Amino acid sequence: MITARLGLRARLYLASAAILMLFAFNVGTHLWGSYARSESVMAYRIATEGTALVRSIQQGLATEYQRVQVLAALRETNAPIRIAQREQANAELSEISDQLRALGGLSDIETEAAFRDFYKFASTLLDEWVRFYRDYNDNSVPSRLDARLYGDATDSLQALADQQNSVALERSTIIDNTIQLTDRITIIGFVSSITITLILILTLIRTTNASLFRLRVGVERFGAGDLTHRIDENRDSGEIANLAQTFNEMSASLQRAMADLTDARAEAEAANETKSMFLANVSHELRTPLNAIIGYSEMLQDELSDGETLDRDQFHHDLTTIIFSGRQLLTLINDILDLSKIETGKMSVSYEPVNVAGLVVQVCDALSPLLAQNKNQLELDVVGAQNATMRSDAAKIQQILTNLFSNACKFTKNGVIKVTAHIDDAALRLSVQDNGIGMTEEQQSKVFQAFVQADSNTSVNYGGTGLGLAIVSSFCDMLGGSVTLSSAPGEGSRFEVSLPVVQE
Amino acid sequence: MASSTVLLVEDNDINRDMLTRRLTRAGLTVMTATDGASALDAMREHQPGVVLMDMTLPVLSGWEATAKAKSDPSVAAIPIIALTAHAMAADRERAMNAGCSDYETKPIDFPALLSKIYLFLGANNT
Repeated sequence: MITARLGLRARLYLASAAILMLFAFNVGTHLWGSYARSESVMAYRIATEGTALVRSIQQGLATEYQRVQVLAALRETNAPIRIAQREQANAELSEISDQLRALGGLSDIETEAAFRDFYKFASTLLDEWVRFYRDYNDNSVPSRLDARLYGDATDSLQALADQQNSVALERSTIIDNTIQLTDRITIIGFVSSITITLILILTLIRTTNASLFRLRVGVERFGAGDLTHRIDENRDSGEIANLAQTFNEMSASLQRAMADLTDARAEAEAANETKSMFLANVSHELRTPLNAIIGYSEMLQDELSDGETLDRDQFHHDLTTIIFSGRQLLTLINDILDLSKIETGKMSVSYEPVNVAGLVVQVCDALSPLLAQNKNQLELDVVGAQNATMRSDAAKIQQILTNLFSNACKFTKNGVIKVTAHIDDAALRLSVQDNGIGMTEEQQSKVFQAFVQADSNTSVNYGGTGLGLAIVSSFCDMLGGSVTLSSAPGEGSRFEVSLPVVQE
Repeated sequence: MASSTVLLVEDNDINRDMLTRRLTRAGLTVMTATDGASALDAMREHQPGVVLMDMTLPVLSGWEATAKAKSDPSVAAIPIIALTAHAMAADRERAMNAGCSDYETKPIDFPALLSKIYLFLGANNT
């Protein structure tokens, strides 16, 4: 329906205009009817006046005629008339003359010819009578009265009266028809105005209701949680379409906000999950050495209190295990603290001039007891970095090297550990290579993850926490570099660290 | 049937050595396995009275080994006590869901573990 495509205001304006037009039409037909009625009244009045005048003139003419006839007979006897008598006759004649003019005023186009005929005869007759009275006492003037004139005047007056009647009759017929017509038009117009107005109002209500219903359904569906629901903006225009559009824009931004919230919640949950996993791992890692420490200590305590003969070697071995587990626990705690700082973003990098060759030599020196433990040899090659300094974080490079070097020492027996440092314009390359137990490809794919060692006995046989390489990898990232690994089971491992150089 | 034998499944050498010695000192017969698959073999072959099972094991994990044992009629009746450093509530549930009869966290509360072992061995014997 076309009104549905119009705005609310346009619909109201349209309906109001239509109703006003109908109203104006009704008023117009009513005025037309009223005009016809007043016309009819006027025509009736004119007809009545005309008839009265005709009758009065007829009477006046008849009276005068008789008097003139009598006086004309008396004049033969030379009986003079008095002046007063003559003036009265003149007054009566002039009154008839006035009535003639009044009758002329009532005549219109259709009766004018008849009036002119009558007026010609009547005024001639009146003139004759005026002369008659004027010359009555003057015997030298003969009385010349045209006998036919009166008859012509009265005949033409009758003809005029007949014509007036026929015109009045004709006019009243026309006016009656007009009144009948306007009455009919008024009634039809009134009834159809009411009908059309009702239809318009009902249509307005229905279409507006339909528009509002669509809005309500949309709001309800959205409110019930269907955030993707949109109201069809094209079904309406104007204010309702604007409202639908505004609602849709609000829906879209709400939907975006909800999506953002959902994402944020998912992120928060993921972060929480990561944190829980981290805590679970930390708990697991701390419990494993603690189990040995507490278990061996309780066992030794039991053995002491049982008063058995102590196997000193066994006792020494057990104490060594306790100390080993305790140290492992300490390393673990330090590594966990580092890792936790890295993961919470609290580990910062402080750049300073670093003498690379000196740093490498210093780390290898510090770890020489570890090197000696498994009877390993060190091959150190720092010629490529001699006298070179770069801007970097010395503490982090030191820890990277320490972790890699101690791993190499742990996993190699009676072997050779090669440490090289080489620096050029672009990068510092540190490599730590051993000919120890090596790793399978599957193990290599996991060793840089936190809490993962090549296998679960690694910490028992070799110590370590499974955090060292995760820390190495994180530090390399923080310094803008990378670490790569090549290894094969039984053939040793080679770790190479590459850090970008910022020239001093 | 050696129903008073305890099968200790533990891949960590230190912990296995420590527990074996303490359980032996307590008068129990202890046999050991170092992974889930060999634990299953030992259960089928020796029918131990109770199994102490670490959960993080190579080859076949403790959870998988326990589930397999519970679906094997020849060993399904043997009670399994989970021994694990995984100490979260969800970990206990996971072990119980796999079919473990009980659950002990590391570090081990040895007297508590011992009384659980005796409880299961006693139930077997009566």
